[in-house]
Amino acid sequence: MVAVLVLVSVTLITFDERSGTNHLTSGLKSVAHDVFSPLIAGVNDILRPIGDFFAGSVHYGALQAENQRLQATIGSLELQLRETQGLAKQERELRALDHLAFLPDAKTVTAQMINFNLSGFDADITISKGRGDGVTVGEPVVGAGGLVGRVIEASHSTAQVQLLTDSGSSVGVAFGPSNQIYAQVFGQGAGSPLSVEYIPAQTPLHKGEKMYTNGLQGGAFPAGIPVGVIHSFRSTVGTASMVVTMTPLADLSQLAFVDVVQSEPPL
Amino acid sequence: MTGKEIPRALLLLLVVLTLQLTVVLDIRIGGAHPDLIVGLAVTAGLAGGTQRGALIGFFSGIALDLFLPTPFGLSALVGTAIGTAAGQLAASGVDRTNPLFLPGVAALGSAIGVIMFAVFGTILGQPDMLTAGLGAVVGVVALANALASYPLVRACNWAFGQEVSGSAWRGSLVTGDAP
Repeated sequence: MVAVLVLVSVTLITFDERSGTNHLTSGLKSVAHDVFSPLIAGVNDILRPIGDFFAGSVHYGALQAENQRLQATIGSLELQLRETQGLAKQERELRALDHLAFLPDAKTVTAQMINFNLSGFDADITISKGRGDGVTVGEPVVGAGGLVGRVIEASHSTAQVQLLTDSGSSVGVAFGPSNQIYAQVFGQGAGSPLSVEYIPAQTPLHKGEKMYTNGLQGGAFPAGIPVGVIHSFRSTVGTASMVVTMTPLADLSQLAFVDVVQSEPPL
Repeated sequence: MTGKEIPRALLLLLVVLTLQLTVVLDIRIGGAHPDLIVGLAVTAGLAGGTQRGALIGFFSGIALDLFLPTPFGLSALVGTAIGTAAGQLAASGVDRTNPLFLPGVAALGSAIGVIMFAVFGTILGQPDMLTAGLGAVVGVVALANALASYPLVRACNWAFGQEVSGSAWRGSLVTGDAP
């Protein structure tokens, strides 16, 4: 029995690995997401306060300070709300916040984040829109500030997004006075800065310099989406390229809503 | 596993999976979250023996794999191995009267399960699983499953139809592997 189960597991792994995104396994995952999404959403509504309680007991000190800050924010928001005559105004503000200056003409699907870092090893999130809403695998995902990542799996009603910080993430960027210098940005795990590679030694850089998607990689990301700002850089004697780290412009730890940028239909 | 146990085991699996994908994901310590699925495999093995441990470990792993970006079958492989090992430990006649035995084995088994997951994942080409906060993940999962071990083993006993009162389970052979 045990040997059979191990054999089945190894067969499934081999099956999944050999063909990358296997039709059978991705189909199963898609069905599971579709079936479980309403259940998870419902249970989250009921149980999330319990999770918040435990999380709060672990981070009590930090939460106290945050609570005070939030209380102040709530006070000013309440004042603002009264001044702007309620929800209609609030909705307009949300829409204005969602407007992406860097992608003015792109068609986007706005989605809510419903889960994050499912395995504990990857930097990924699950969003509330899927194939049924037009979201497909490979599409870029942006948030307020800039690029968030890309869709790596899509079920009918949800999708999984690989964040920029995931170790498997790679994005081509451009920077410089007229965005003529190209480099590649790699994730180094959740919470770690991004690594920028292939920048020749002695390239003039400055801390805080913005980098944008370069539109290469077979069109995986449209050009011009802000990715991040240079966090640190140094040249090492005897090496041809610089050691550069970058901070994402989108706050990946505070994602609530994101926009999935829709692929352009082929000409 | 008998026909009467299967619906209960499925219900247990569904409840633990739902908890894992909802409230447990919100508990973050040092960037890591608990993993009840590997804890379930360990406690199923301790409560039900080798075969039940392997079955619960396999199917709970497969269920979790449906929601992970890692290779499909990886959690199932780890769950099978951990459930089997816990079952063999339970059937070996080891002294289980110490109240710390269950949480200790749950913590150790969970830690081994997480490390196995990271090692196999790395072998299969998953990047940075052996470096990206593995220590924190191991620590959090082990601690959480030590705390959850008593409720989990009670749930497993219920699923396997084992009427065990108090701490009696600690002193008896598991039914699945009685000589």
